[in-house]
Amino acid sequence: MSEKIGKHIAIYGKGGIGKSTTTSNISAALAESGYRVIQIGCDPKSDSTTILRGGNDLPTVLDTLREQSRVRLDDISAIGFGGVLCIEAGGPVPGVGCAGRGINAAVEQLQDLKVFEEFKPDFVLYDVLGDVVCGGFAVPIRDGLADRAFVVTSSDFMAVFAANNLFKAVTKYAPSGGARLGGIIANSILAPYATSLIDDFADRTGSRVIGYVPRSLTVAQSELYGKTVIEAVPQSEQAQVYRDLAKFIVEDEEAIIPRPLNGPELKKWAREWGDKIFEVEAGVVHEMASI
Amino acid sequence: MSHHIEDSRNSCALHGALQVYEAIEGVVPVIHSTSGCGVQHYLGGTRLSGGNAPFGSAPVSSTNIREKHVVFGGGSRLREQLKNSVKVVQGDLYAIVTGCSIEMVGDDVPAMAKEGLDQDWPVVYANTPGFRGDVHQGYQLAVRALIEQLPDIWKGASPAPAGLVNIWGIIPNQDPFWRGNLRELGRLLEAIGLVPNLLLGDGQDVESWKKVPGAAFNLAVSSWGELPARLLEERYGTPFISLAGLPVGTAAADLLYQLTGELGLDQPRIDAVIAREEARLSHQFARLADTYYRTGFQREFALIGESAQVVGIGEFLAKSLGLLPRLLVITDNPPDPVQKALVTRLNPIVPGYETDIIFSEDRAGIGASVRDSGAGIVLGSSLEQEAAEELGVPFLAVSFPLADRIVLDRGYAGYRGATALLEDLGSVILSDSYHQVV
Repeated sequence: MSEKIGKHIAIYGKGGIGKSTTTSNISAALAESGYRVIQIGCDPKSDSTTILRGGNDLPTVLDTLREQSRVRLDDISAIGFGGVLCIEAGGPVPGVGCAGRGINAAVEQLQDLKVFEEFKPDFVLYDVLGDVVCGGFAVPIRDGLADRAFVVTSSDFMAVFAANNLFKAVTKYAPSGGARLGGIIANSILAPYATSLIDDFADRTGSRVIGYVPRSLTVAQSELYGKTVIEAVPQSEQAQVYRDLAKFIVEDEEAIIPRPLNGPELKKWAREWGDKIFEVEAGVVHEMASI
Repeated sequence: MSHHIEDSRNSCALHGALQVYEAIEGVVPVIHSTSGCGVQHYLGGTRLSGGNAPFGSAPVSSTNIREKHVVFGGGSRLREQLKNSVKVVQGDLYAIVTGCSIEMVGDDVPAMAKEGLDQDWPVVYANTPGFRGDVHQGYQLAVRALIEQLPDIWKGASPAPAGLVNIWGIIPNQDPFWRGNLRELGRLLEAIGLVPNLLLGDGQDVESWKKVPGAAFNLAVSSWGELPARLLEERYGTPFISLAGLPVGTAAADLLYQLTGELGLDQPRIDAVIAREEARLSHQFARLADTYYRTGFQREFALIGESAQVVGIGEFLAKSLGLLPRLLVITDNPPDPVQKALVTRLNPIVPGYETDIIFSEDRAGIGASVRDSGAGIVLGSSLEQEAAEELGVPFLAVSFPLADRIVLDRGYAGYRGATALLEDLGSVILSDSYHQVV
């Protein structure tokens, strides 16, 4: 591979956790600060960049592979808010084919098209489907494609489970030149215990939380208008949260190899938190605790 | 501990399945895999099995899938290929076999086969990626597909003649003498009043397979044939016997007596058949006696081949011809319980004489064992010829790959196979002896 142009960042997380929204808002915030940004959606649903480009259709990279026509960068990309170059890898319909191989093929296609050489980005953000379900979805963190990986998680156990799986993948690939972990983005923070739970998971795994995104009506409203919060409500507190995240990613380049929990450890950890949350909800007062 | 395997003689499951379907007249195989699987089958399989490769290399229908089929699924490509195959090649049955990439992706091949059936095309499918096993598992997967799917296609079985016996366990090309072996087994079954269903080879077509469920008995002549025999026992209650190896020479008498017992056949008739065959073989032994002693037939031998061949040929050479089994190498990688049973059976073949028994498919390791054995004659595949030459002893090619012999009708099973073996083995010993004198 030729010399890497720009900083490449992969953002993972369980499906439906708000990965694409978070990534798009970070892209928008980076663009707003004057950086040249490419956002690549690595998900067969092909909706990673929707809110950056007003909800318009965008042919995916793999659509062009299917048609086998000669393809130009213009055909598979669109300029979105703030000049962000939006690309969707695409993939098969659910239940057919191999989406993992699709990610691989799409990334190769982008390299053939010399996207990075032509656009000269400061930042490239890969928004990767859900859990690391197979080798194909680990492509962005393998082979030195991305420098850093971030994981978006809520305080739901399955989201933390997916984050832990990403840590396993990072641990596997980082020693041979794969991406390291930049940190955890805590999303949809609503319950009082959520912050503590995610902080505790970060502690246990030797990682860190780089920002807390509260659950917000502003995000939902902006999405309904096909926009990022940065674009739709730039003065909001929520927009500032995303700007802070973007600033952190720009300024703090620390990246580590985490220590994922094994199966029994993760289950034990979850049970302990289950007990704690029950006690909080039930108002249990431990001996001496009220003094 | 890991070790490398040099020049394995066991190809992949896809090839094993192709070898079955290509051996049935009227069956059109359709490979659903990347390009190269069919060519490799020709280069590494059929071309190295007694000069019987199909004319024009690999005339087999294939979907030759590309990356887009991996990403988006190859179902539509298979649909197209099946449709085109039906248009271009007239067949009684179209058999889809699948390769590795397509099974990793999880293409819904049964649905594609059903689409074909809905259009009244006779289509079966076998999921045969290489990671499911080697050529032997491929044989099993292919025959299993026929046993399980054909009755639905043809709405029940065809009437089978009384005394029909299906023969299982001989893998076309993997046994280079498969045609001759099947034919001789068929001849012996006919002689005792049974009707052999050879299923594969010259003249065998889908009609033979329609009769499979109605057979009176199933005969497996290698451990690989036990699976279809068991399957038929489960489905139709058909009894079976499973042999560890080909019955060569007098071992054929044991088989015929066993069948007599199982099927309640006419004992005097069987006695007469066996007496006739044994008399002929004994007469041939007698005619060979001068050469036997003059050239020193009785010597230590190394035998390399599939378990069925090693058992059949090895026991004949040791028990009937008086040779000493120094080294037996079994190359078809049978499952552990079968390996244990083989060791128990083969050691000792000759009481008081130590035989080395090795399970290996590694050319280098086998070659070293042959060289170390100090055997006075080597029987094996073309891969062992070099080791035999280094030992400076006669060599007879009897197992796959068989690159420098033409095999059209020859077999080593049964009584006639024993005669053929005497001729071939005797010829290489006599030739060696003659050239040493000259």
